[in-house]
Formats: sequence, C-alpha cells, structure tokens
Amino acid sequence: MARIIGRRLLFMIPTLILVSVLVFALAEILPGDIGRVVLGPYALQSQVVQYDHAHGYDKPIYERYVRWAGNFVTGHWGDSLTYQIPVLSYVIKALGNSLLLAGFALVIIVPTSVLIGVYAGLRRDSILDRIITISSLSMTVIPEFVSGAILLVVFAVSLKWLPVSATPPQGSPFIDRFYYLILPAIPLMFLELGYVARMARAGTVQVMSMPYIRTADLKGLPRRRIIFGHVLRNALVPTVTVIGSQIGWLIGGLVVVETLFVYHGIGWIMVDSALNHDEPTLEAAVLLVAVLYMFSNLCADVAVAFLSPRIRMGA
Amino acid sequence: MAPPDAVADREEQVLQADAVAAQEQRRQRRYLAKGLLRSPTFMTGLIIVLFWIVMALFSRSLTQDPNVVNAFATLKAPSAAHWFGTDDLGRDVFARTLAGARTVLIIAPLATLLCLLAGGIIGLVAGFYRGLVDEIIMRLVDVLLSLPVIITAILILSLLGKSIPIVIIVVGALFTPVVSRTIRSAAIGEREREYVMAARLRGERSAFIMAREILPNITQPIIVEGTIRLGYAVFTAATLAFLGFGLPPGSPDWGLTISAERGFVAIASWTVLFPAAALASLVVAVNLITDGLTRVFSR
Amino acid sequence: MTDLEQQGTSPAALDVSDLEVTFHRRGRDLPVLKGVTLRIERGEAYGLVGESGCGKTTLAMAALRYLASNGTVDAGKVLVDGRDVSTLKGEALRKWRGEAVAMVYQDPATALSPAMRIGDQVGEVFRYHEGLSRAESRERARESLRRVALPDPDATLRRYPFELSGGQQQRVVIAMALAVNPRLLVLDEPTTGLDATVEAEILDLIEDLRGRINAAILLITHNLGLVARLCERVGVLYAGRVVEEGPAREVFTDPRHPYTMGLLRCVPRFGMNKADAALQTIPGTLPALGEPLQGCVYSARCPMAKPVCTRREPDLYAWPGDGGPAGRAQAEAMSPDPAAYSPHHASPLGDGARHARCYFSAQVREMPETTAVLATSSASRVGGGDVLQIDALRRTFKDGRKKLTAVHEVSLSLKRGETFGLVGESGSGKTTLAKCVTGLLVADSGTLEFEGKPLRSAAGRRPREALRAIQMVFQNPDSTLNPAWTTRAILSRAVRKLGGTSGSSVRAKVDKLSADVRVEPRFLLQKPNDLSGGQKQRVAIARAFAGDPTLVVCDEPASALDVSVQASILNLLVELQSSEHVSYVFISHDLAVVRYISDRIGVMYLAELIEVGSAAEVFSAPHHPYTEALLSSIPKLDFGTPQQRIPLHGSMPSLSEPPSGCRFHTRCHRFLGDICVNQEPPLQEPASGHVYKCHILPAELLAAQTAPSPPPASGQV
Repeated sequence: MARIIGRRLLFMIPTLILVSVLVFALAEILPGDIGRVVLGPYALQSQVVQYDHAHGYDKPIYERYVRWAGNFVTGHWGDSLTYQIPVLSYVIKALGNSLLLAGFALVIIVPTSVLIGVYAGLRRDSILDRIITISSLSMTVIPEFVSGAILLVVFAVSLKWLPVSATPPQGSPFIDRFYYLILPAIPLMFLELGYVARMARAGTVQVMSMPYIRTADLKGLPRRRIIFGHVLRNALVPTVTVIGSQIGWLIGGLVVVETLFVYHGIGWIMVDSALNHDEPTLEAAVLLVAVLYMFSNLCADVAVAFLSPRIRMGA
Repeated sequence: MAPPDAVADREEQVLQADAVAAQEQRRQRRYLAKGLLRSPTFMTGLIIVLFWIVMALFSRSLTQDPNVVNAFATLKAPSAAHWFGTDDLGRDVFARTLAGARTVLIIAPLATLLCLLAGGIIGLVAGFYRGLVDEIIMRLVDVLLSLPVIITAILILSLLGKSIPIVIIVVGALFTPVVSRTIRSAAIGEREREYVMAARLRGERSAFIMAREILPNITQPIIVEGTIRLGYAVFTAATLAFLGFGLPPGSPDWGLTISAERGFVAIASWTVLFPAAALASLVVAVNLITDGLTRVFSR
Repeated sequence: MTDLEQQGTSPAALDVSDLEVTFHRRGRDLPVLKGVTLRIERGEAYGLVGESGCGKTTLAMAALRYLASNGTVDAGKVLVDGRDVSTLKGEALRKWRGEAVAMVYQDPATALSPAMRIGDQVGEVFRYHEGLSRAESRERARESLRRVALPDPDATLRRYPFELSGGQQQRVVIAMALAVNPRLLVLDEPTTGLDATVEAEILDLIEDLRGRINAAILLITHNLGLVARLCERVGVLYAGRVVEEGPAREVFTDPRHPYTMGLLRCVPRFGMNKADAALQTIPGTLPALGEPLQGCVYSARCPMAKPVCTRREPDLYAWPGDGGPAGRAQAEAMSPDPAAYSPHHASPLGDGARHARCYFSAQVREMPETTAVLATSSASRVGGGDVLQIDALRRTFKDGRKKLTAVHEVSLSLKRGETFGLVGESGSGKTTLAKCVTGLLVADSGTLEFEGKPLRSAAGRRPREALRAIQMVFQNPDSTLNPAWTTRAILSRAVRKLGGTSGSSVRAKVDKLSADVRVEPRFLLQKPNDLSGGQKQRVAIARAFAGDPTLVVCDEPASALDVSVQASILNLLVELQSSEHVSYVFISHDLAVVRYISDRIGVMYLAELIEVGSAAEVFSAPHHPYTEALLSSIPKLDFGTPQQRIPLHGSMPSLSEPPSGCRFHTRCHRFLGDICVNQEPPLQEPASGHVYKCHILPAELLAAQTAPSPPPASGQV
C-alpha cells in the first residue's frame, strides 16, 4: 500500500513540473510582450520597455521560468493585475469556497448514487431500472449551466423557494451558507449521479453474473448478506474508479456553476482572470487546481487499492 | 452390415448438420441489426438528432431572421408574433433557438472525428507495439490528462481567440488522450489472440497486422467510444461558449445565448429557458443513441 | 411417487421423474430436457455424462432449484431427500439450499469471492446457518479446511482466493460445500481446467471424503474416465434425454446404446496408437441446446439407424429385456409421429437395473464402424534426416522483479514425418518451447536448426522459405481465425504469403486445401463465427498447410472441442501427416491422446525436458518418477487392472526459484536423499533413444516400478 502511494507521489512531481511548464508557456510566453498587454496598444514603446525591464520580462525564458517557479513554490504569487490585491490570499479563499460547494454536493450525492445504482443493478431490466438508468443518464449529460439555468428559473424565479444568489449577505451565520448553496450544488449532483449510478449499476450487474454469487446463493446465505458482503464489496471497485475519473469533469462543472451563480470560487476566478488576461491570478488558480486534481486522483486510487486486495498486494 | 457407401453418407451428413448450425447463426446476426431499429432509446435519440441536423441546415429559410435587432420589441413575452418571445435586443427567440443548433452541430462532430482519428492511431500503435513505445506514449497521455479538459481549454482558448476552427481543433486535441486509452486497451485485448499470432507466422508486417487484422475487430468499441465522445463534445462546446471562450459574440449559439441573457432570467425567463431546453434535448438525444448502441452490441 | 410408496424405505437422495425443462431465449422456446428420470440413492455416486448442449448442467440447476429466470420446469418432479423442491419458496428455500444440497463447479477461482478472506467465506456458512458466533464459525472453518487436507489451515484462513493455487481453491470450495453435511453434493466438471496431478488429488480427496459423509454425489462431466473412477452408476445424456443408464462398469464395458458406444470408440484408449486404428468418429454435429429433434434424437448420427427410428422416439427400455423389439413393433404398427415421446418407462429404476433408449440395443455390440482404418504404417512414415534440431534452448521472462526461466536447456531432435508429443502440466514450459520453435518468441540462448541450417529466432526475421516450412495450429478455435475475414480470404492470404503463389493458382490451391480438410466450399464464403468449432479448427489446419509445411506445431489442437469432434480432428491430422509427409510437435495435457498420436514423446517438468523416448518406452517402466506419477493420475476406463495411484504431494515449485539439484526432488516418491538435493541428475539411457534425467539407474527403476506393491507415499514438503 505504502509503495503504491509512494510511487504515485513520485510520479506527480515530474507531471507537476510539466504542467507548470505548460502553464508558464501559455500564460507568459504566448501572449507576447507582457508589457504591451498590460499597458495597452496606445502606450509608448519606451514605456513598454521600461515596464518590461522593471518586472524582469526581458530576461531569457529559462531564467524567467526558474524565477517564476521559485516564486510559486515559496508563496510569492504576486498581485492580481485586475484587482490589485495579493493573489495568494485571494485564490486560497476562493479555493475554500469551492471546496465547500463541492464537498456539500459530493457528500449528499455519492452515497445516494451508489445506492440507486446498486438498486437498479439488482433489479436489472425491470421498469424501475430502466427509469433510473435513463433519467440519471439524461440528467448527467445536460451541461451544468443548462440545468442550473432551468433550476434557477423554476425554483428561484417562479416558485421563489430558493435564493437566486449563491452567497448569503455579509454577517450571516455559517449555516446559512448551505441554504444558499443548494441551487448551485444541484447541477453538480446531477453530474455525479449519472456516472456514479451507472457505474454502480454496471458493477453490480457484472458481479451478479459471477459464479461466486451463485456459490453464495447455494450456500443458503440470506439476501442481505449476499448484497452487502459479496456484491457491494466487489461492485464498488469500478465505481470508485469512475468517481476518480470524473473528478476532472466535476472541476469543470464547478467552473460553470460558479460562473452561472457568480459564486466566488476558484472556478469563477479562473474564468474571470482568463478573460481579463490577469496572468498571475490565472496561473496560480490553474496550478492549484492541477495539484488538487492529482491529489484527488491519488485518493481515488488509494480507495480502490483499499477495496481490492488483488491490487493492494500487487498480484 | 454397413456398405462402404455408409462412410460417404456420413460425410454428407456432417456437412448437412453443419449447415443448419450456420443458418441459425446468420439468423441471429440479422436479429441484432433489427434490434437497433426496434430499440426505442436509439430511435428516439436518432430522430431528435436528425431534427436538429435539419434545423442546423435549413432554419434560416423556415423562420424569421435570428439576427434582426428591434429596439422597440425587447424582452417581449411569447406571443403570436414571436412564438418564444424576444430577447434583450429584440431578436426573435424562436428563430435564434432553432438556429443555435448550427454551431454545436459543426463543432462537435468535427472535433469527434479529429479525436477518433488521432486517438485511434495513437492507441493502436501503443497497444500493438507495447514495450518502450507504449510506455512513452502512455506517460505523455497521463501528463496531458493531468489537467481537466475544461481548464486546459480555457487556458488555450483565452490566448488563441474566438473562432470555430480553433475550438474544433482544441476540443479534438484535448479528447485525443482519452480516446487513445480506450483504443489502446481494445488493441491490447486483440493482440494476444491466436489469429494475430498466425499472422505473425505468415511474416506479415506490423502495419498490416494493425490495419487489416486488429482494426476490423475493434470497430465496435471505436463506434461506442465515438458516440460517447460526441456527447462530451457537445457538452464541452456548449460549456465553452457559455463561459465566453471560442465563439464570436452575437452568434445564436445556445451556450452563448444563455450566458448573454442570464442577467434577464428573473424578468424574461423565456430568453434562457428555450435555448436551455433545446440544448438539453440534443445532448440527451446523443446519449440515447449511445445507450441504444451499447445495449444492442452487448446482447 | 410410486417408487417411494413401493419401497417404503428411506427416500432417495435425488429422485427426478419425467423432468421437462424449457428455456425461453430471444422469443424462442428451446426444450432442453425431456422426460429425464433418474434416481440416486443415499450415499451413492452417480455420474451424468454428455457433451456440450446435452443439458447436464441444466439438470443440476433444476435439482438445486436454481434455474435461470428464463428457464421453466414444464413437467415432472424433482425430489431431494423426499422433498419436492418446487414447493420450496423464500426462507424455506434458502434454508434448504444451505442444508440439503451443495454444489462444486468448474473454475474454482471464480467460485470464490475475490475480495473476501477465505476464513470469512467458509465461516459464513456457519454464521448464517447455524447461528454461531464469529469465533465459533472461525473454528469450524478451520476444521473444514483441515478436513480437505489443506496444509496450514490457519494461514489459509487469512488469505484471499487469488493467493491460492487452483487445486487449493477447489479444496476450499469443496470444504464450503461439505460444511453443513448436505444430502446431495453436485459436482459439475470439478476438475476440468486443473492439471492432471492436481485433478488426481482432488479425486482422491472426494473418494476419501465419501467414506466419511453420507452425501450422495451427482458427478456431471464429459470425461468418462472420471465417472469410471468415482461412480457406481452412470447416466448418459444426449440432447436432453437419458439415452442409457445403469451400473458404470457394465455400461462402459458393454454399452447398449449407439451413442455410448460411439463415445467409447472415439476416445483413444490408453495404449492405443495411430498405427493400430483410426479413431471412430461420430458423424454429424452435436445438436444445439434446445434444438427440436424428430423421432430418436440420435438417429441423425447413428450408424445403425433404421426408418423406424424416425417414426417414433423409443422409450427407456430395460436391458436385458424385450422392451426394444416390442417397442419397435409397436412403433411400426402405429402411425408415424416423430414428435411423440413417452415419458414413462416400461420398468422401474433401481440398483443394478440397466436401461437403454434404443430399439436395437441387442445389436449395439456389432455397431458398424464409421471411419475406415487408416492405411498408414509406421515404417513408411518416419524417415529421412533430422528436420529440427534444438540445442540447449533457454528462455526467461521477467515478472515484476522476479526472473522466471520458462525453458531451461532443452535439447531435442525431430525426424521427417515423425510426431513428437510434448507433455507437461501448466508451467512446464511446453507452450513457450513451441513458441520459440515457431518464432513467436525469441530464445535467450541455444540454437535452432532446421534441416541442418541454422534458424533465425524471430518469425519476423525468417525468410519465406522458413515460414512456410514451420507452421502452427493453435488451441482455441474461436480465436484462431480472424472473425472479420471470410474463410476464403483467410486461406487465400495464407496461400499467397506462404505458398508464394498468386493469381488463379491461389483459388485452386484454396479449393484443394478445403477439400483436404473436408470443409465444403460454401463455408468458404462465410465468416468464422458461422462455423462450428470443429470446422474452424479444420480451417486452421488448412491454413497451416497452405505452404506445404515440413513441420507443424500443434498446441492442444483438440482440447477445446467435444470428444466426438476431437476424434475427427485427430484423424485428420494423422491423415495429413501421411499424405503430406510432415512432422508434428504435438502438445497436449491429455496423455491418452498424446500416446495415440505420437511416435516419440518428451516429458517436461518445470522448464526442463526430463524424459525423451518412443511413445511405448516413455509410457512403460523404466521411466522417470514424474512420468510414472503422471500416468498413474489419469482416470482410465480400464476396469480390468486395479490402478496404483501415486499421489504427488506439494505443489509445483515456482519457476523463479526452481529446486536445487533435481527439480523434481521436492515431490518425488522415489526420493533417494541428499544426492537428489545437491547434484543435478545425469541422463540415464535404458535403451537407445530413450533417456531420462534421474539418479536412479535403469535396472533399479525397472525393478521398483514393476514391483507389485504400491510405492511409498511421496512428499518432501
């Protein structure tokens, strides 16, 4: 087990370096002359040169990268070009907001989807199964902004059951935040529901056809024991794997939902800084998300190894 | 007791009985093909997609001009004159909704084709050769997959500007790693089969084995992967448009429209509702097709 | 039932009467079992034999009330221990399943839950059935594992299934099955897929356990030898009907149904050789599951079939008796009704009773042969120089960090027209060796010479001459032909690439090849999925012969086929050998088949060739102790001589750490002492051309192996 984690962490480092190179190249090199971008097309060339020199933008690429990477690692993330505030605290705070939203959605939907999926798998090809399969699939493939928009219209505008905004007014107690997060969380929940339920169902169906379930039946074990002891344990492996592989789309969903509800999470920051060419913020946000993504993939892999003794022992 | 002819008669009977078995198997194959046509999920999805394809091609001639601005008729509720109402610039929402299919139906299929081609070749090569080539390719794939697709797309598109061909290439390129993984595992599955060994014993060259022996046997997973990617491509293209990347403003694209009109959702929900419903229908339809296909293939 | 009332004694363990089962699949009704009646008394072992599609597993499932949801019992009754199983539902069914019946089936690896420890899986039975506590169940589980002779039960309890070997896994499955002392134990192909020596161990275990439990046993298998070994009575199933039934010994020595006779004739008897006679094949193909048949179900393939056989299906008549002739007269008198069948028997079942579903049981003894005797003689076949020379071949693999030697210093030679049989269990290296010869794998060291000239190792590097000369026939008929190509395309390509021909002569050659292997031209237009298993393998053979090869390596070419089809493939190979004058390297785990087809035989153990000699020499004393044990582990159909079983203890050592000195010393029942552990054994040569690797001299070995008393038990572990 420790070996698996160790190997993955080791692999993360070169990947992270490559990602940082990619980000650096896209953010700092491709736009061209940074000075020109910041000062605009009407500034004098001498002003641009001065700006570049002052900020070190005229040094060779290699040097710039090393300095940039060094800055990043030591926490010197600079100031936002758009808002003139320190990037570090700005981005970290946003990350917290996002984790709250994502965590809220996941905690509710993951166990629910697994249960729904397993239930559908056990009652395979029945009417209920078909309904569950098709509806969960449909909810999943609808882009988050679509479902979010429709939900907004129905629940916030027409019925007025839920607030339109995702952020409670200043000074509200912490628990209020969850009430405001309900609408934004639902599209995320839809996203995960489909994939997780479908995989849980597929895993269950596959396990049910295995001979060891026949053995368990013929041993005369009660149904409950078979489901919880044999089916679940084995069906969860592909399910957790798919949760892991869906994290990328969850992050994408986070970006969309935050943009739709104007919720200041890290996704919103990314879009905002990309559209405004606020490089320092964009770079920080992207790298932070990359680290988070790799880390959560690692957690998913660890969970799979935990569930499957075969993988755990490297057979 | 038995004349020598009995042996020959036996031979005849061997072949007769074999023929019966062969006929039965042919019958089952035809049944499978009919299964597609009879599958309600597949057919529903197909019909909806075909509807939108027709709209993408012909909506301009069927409806009002979706780009006509009318400052006097902004944010009007649905009426006889404007079936879906008007948006904040007075444009007819019905016409825009039907026209919005065009961008998605150009971007998504082309991006899918691109990633299938690129991912297919890469996956086939990696899966066939294994060893060092496979290791290198898969490491690269892992690196490319270490960032979520949307994030990378945002990064790249924010620099490269807004135009449809760029979106197609970016989306296609970003889906290539995932496709190559799927195709690779399909190729690996076929690689150890005995007919591949037989081909090697004939001295066939690698390119021949990949193209003529293995590829024809992995068409099913390729098709399924293709339809899945198509669904993701529609999803991604719409999302990117919504976020503001890739498309010139003013286009009736659904994602773009929803983004532009979302400020008015409280007072004129129809501006957002109809494009949203249209997009939802297309995405669901593509996935119904995928569902139908996988079901029929796996029987 | 009437039988029960008549006897008034304890109920039979299994009492099936007139069972009819139908499967509903894709809108069609497939009748699978019709009029099946059989009876197993308490403590009796009953063998049910039949080939694929005969319905034997369906019968077991029906007895266990475990039919798939698309299967229905249309008629008949199944009583287990006097209880009608159709009345069981819900909780009662569950309890009954755990208490009264148990099943062991093929592939033990998938029969065990992969994510649960052995101790938990075995203990479950006690926890949920007898309501014992965790600790108590654990203790009982340990006890069960001990009962099935699993070494180190404590450690095994904590392991996961994938950590055990196939034989150990099957023991665990048997332990679970016997945990609650069932009334009826069903074994469905319990040893298929296991190595011969492991199979023998499992059979020993079952025999041993029989003495200690009162379960009746229903053994379902296609292997007649297994039934002969374990069972008192046997039933032969064909197309869902019992066609013959009775005491095993009598049925196998004096069959009274043409199918049984056909089965016995198509399997090579131990000691038989191709020079003696061709295998008598059963013409036609097995009926598909649920295929409706008219009149006597076997009549389409029966060499003795008469018109009356298709008029009306015969009953299960008692033998000896007049039932057959009387029934025939009746059938001829009545109007023909091919679909009719009588579910009831003319006489009751029971010990000693024999039945056969045939109008002509009395003439089965003289059943005509179906295959002409092959006109081959040993002398004319083998001759000429060496075709293949292998010297000190070595091939290793890397498995993670471990290095496995799959083939270790193997040397052998092969003459023109000769068949070299290669036997060994899994992990012995025979397939790796075959792949090195054909060029699919490259040897690490050693030389290969073909017709006196050195041979390049990789197939990709060999010139066309070498490729066409050395070809291979593979094991699995379903994957040996590319499913996306038509048969004609497959053969044409082979002819072009290997034969070097082009244009119109290709077509002619393809036609000739398909005629040689007896595949009708119209099948050439179809894709492999439309052909039967036997046909596919014939096409694969044709493909190998496309370039007029000199050597064909056959890797278990018939193992995946039913016995009746196997015989025709073997005959074909023998025929082609004499007409095309090719040499074969024939690999198989089935020793009788190898004995039948080979001129010389090599025995492999743990990557080494430990014995080489003529077929007759290797199969009789003096021979290597491993060969001796291997031969004794095959269940034979021979009721005459008592079998001396030599159990091999311990399991096959790992290829990454082979034992020192003699590789076999850890399991040898003739272990001498330190010399076997420290010194690599020399090659002994009891006769010219016959060598084996052992420290025991030929004269001593001969004396020891022909001694009347059983040898001492083996075991170093």
